[in-house]
Amino acid sequence: MGIVANPASGRDIRRLVAKASVFPTAEKANMVQRMLTALHSVGVTRVLLSTDLGGISAAVLRALSTRRDPWPAVEFCDQDPLTESAQDTTNAVRRMIADGARVIICLGGDGTARVAAAACGDVPLLPLSTGTNNAFPQLREATVAGLAAGLVATGAVDATHRASVLEVTAADRVELALVDVCGSLSPYVGSRALWEPGQLTELFCAFAEPDAIGLSSVAGQLCPSARDEPDGVAIRFAPPERARWVVRAPIAPGLVVPVGVREYRVLPAGERVDLEPCGVIAVDGEREIERTAGASVRLRPDGPRCVDVTAALTEAAANGLFRTERTVDDDGYLANTGSARA
Amino acid sequence: MTDTLPTPAAPGLDADALLDAYRMMRTIRAFEERVHDEFATGEIPGFVHLYAGEEASATGVCMHLDDRDSIASTHRGHGHCIAKGVDVKAMMAEIYGRRTGSCHGKGGSMHIADLSKGMLGANGIVGGGPPLICGTALAAKQQGTGGVGVAFFGDGASNQGTTLEAMNLASVWNLPAIFVAENNGYAEATSSTWSVSADNIADRAAGFGMPGVIVDGFDFFAVYEAAGEAIRRAREGGGPTLIEVKFTRYFGHFEGDQQTYRADEVAQARDRLDCLKRFRARVTETGQLEDSTLDSVDTQVADLIDAAVAEAKAAPKPTADDLETDVYVSY
Repeated sequence: MGIVANPASGRDIRRLVAKASVFPTAEKANMVQRMLTALHSVGVTRVLLSTDLGGISAAVLRALSTRRDPWPAVEFCDQDPLTESAQDTTNAVRRMIADGARVIICLGGDGTARVAAAACGDVPLLPLSTGTNNAFPQLREATVAGLAAGLVATGAVDATHRASVLEVTAADRVELALVDVCGSLSPYVGSRALWEPGQLTELFCAFAEPDAIGLSSVAGQLCPSARDEPDGVAIRFAPPERARWVVRAPIAPGLVVPVGVREYRVLPAGERVDLEPCGVIAVDGEREIERTAGASVRLRPDGPRCVDVTAALTEAAANGLFRTERTVDDDGYLANTGSARA
Repeated sequence: MTDTLPTPAAPGLDADALLDAYRMMRTIRAFEERVHDEFATGEIPGFVHLYAGEEASATGVCMHLDDRDSIASTHRGHGHCIAKGVDVKAMMAEIYGRRTGSCHGKGGSMHIADLSKGMLGANGIVGGGPPLICGTALAAKQQGTGGVGVAFFGDGASNQGTTLEAMNLASVWNLPAIFVAENNGYAEATSSTWSVSADNIADRAAGFGMPGVIVDGFDFFAVYEAAGEAIRRAREGGGPTLIEVKFTRYFGHFEGDQQTYRADEVAQARDRLDCLKRFRARVTETGQLEDSTLDSVDTQVADLIDAAVAEAKAAPKPTADDLETDVYVSY
């Protein structure tokens, strides 16, 4: 089992331009500890944990000497020098997989999940939300997520599904997006987030849920597309005063704004679409690619295998993995206990 | 579909503004590198603390400011002074302790101030700036000027009571105040990862009921965007913001610092992250500015710094008669 936790998630400009939450480091460390307890309870014996300068791994290291609960053996992936960038997530995931991890749990936002997904190959991924927009990672109780991940890692259940990804090709760069790809008129990556609808040119979504937060919520209200459907959605924006459709959409936490759409359509899997000229391309809500000439996007069905927490625990219930049944007397009490009943 | 979308451009950043930003950052860099060289000759009195490497912060913030606004600085204050429009020649003369200096040669590097430019001064007191801008922000609010106060302070000052009290006051009074924590990793020689109890300085904002954001301090555009949003919010009555700008200073804490507390991070930052290099690469790539235009700015800035040093060296020093001027009480 590998756990990678991003110390930097949940700190960007959306706390200023919107009302995005601040996810404290202490809570990320607590989540790791709750998962360790859960993982031990389902028979996971060894956990590889990423290191960071933000205090998450340090808090877990301290807890190793003070904990009361039994945990799996914890090993820190500290071989690679920390760069305090997304590279740390990539390095940690690669190390964990090379070292035999059967499931990768990642703590972060859409950006962290995207980086982990690109590095985890065919190993199942369980992305948990500790970031800002989080259309892809789930907001799940870490204990429950740990149980599900542990059951998948030990082979007790087989509850994963393959997600689609959007592949963006621009100049010599290829990036994968788990949720959406968006063209922006901004010429700079700058503070990364997108929050001004007037800057957006077009949007491609791997899936579009009506109850999503972030840019994909625009598509979710026009042309919903479930995660397990192979096709996605493509949208071209327009200024609201000239647009055919105006969607009031929660494009960031605390930010519900009118977004003008001039056309939308189903994006068939496999179709390669050239992007309109734009300044930068954002993947999963963060401006990322500055060289956009000749850029194209394609929806691929071969994204990361993701742990389905609900399915894992439903299968566990069906197979009775968490319950023990013993023989009782006619009155419903345990037989032959040898003690007087109250 | 014949609709055409507008030409890509960051709001408020046309070619002229980009050139201004580049000139400002280049002037700060050239000024600091020259002071570094000149200080080694022993001609400059006192201490100097150089801002090289941090240019994107002062520039990205001050590009949004005007005459209504005031800033307070730190003892690493040359960059803030230049970005707020203090005369470069008067600054150099001040550092040389000459009568033509911004403070008539009596302040030196750590006390350069120009109230006519809204520059409340570099500051020898760690954490001395934030309370000052609460005062100017309160004045701006009471007078309805739309002005804001910006306090630049370091990771060391982020632990000072004055800074924390100022943030509390700014929040309680809903002041148009911006707190810019310039986290260069070390308070003198003490690592901020050891001395700052929070994981990020920006995290402390939540305790004061204001937004706190972290930006890449080597990226002018990132600072410019975050500062622009915070300043717009403050002008509109939205209250204070804490912005943590993370980067590395290129020189020691002060000139002469042996820097035994840090490894090769400076060389890496200069090579891979440098704000001027990144700025130039991007604006030439988008075709907004030409390399030749930027080269000519480099030349003009170099000439300006040459002239500033030559004029400073030739200028007279204060005399005994100057002792009784610029003081609160005349004897």
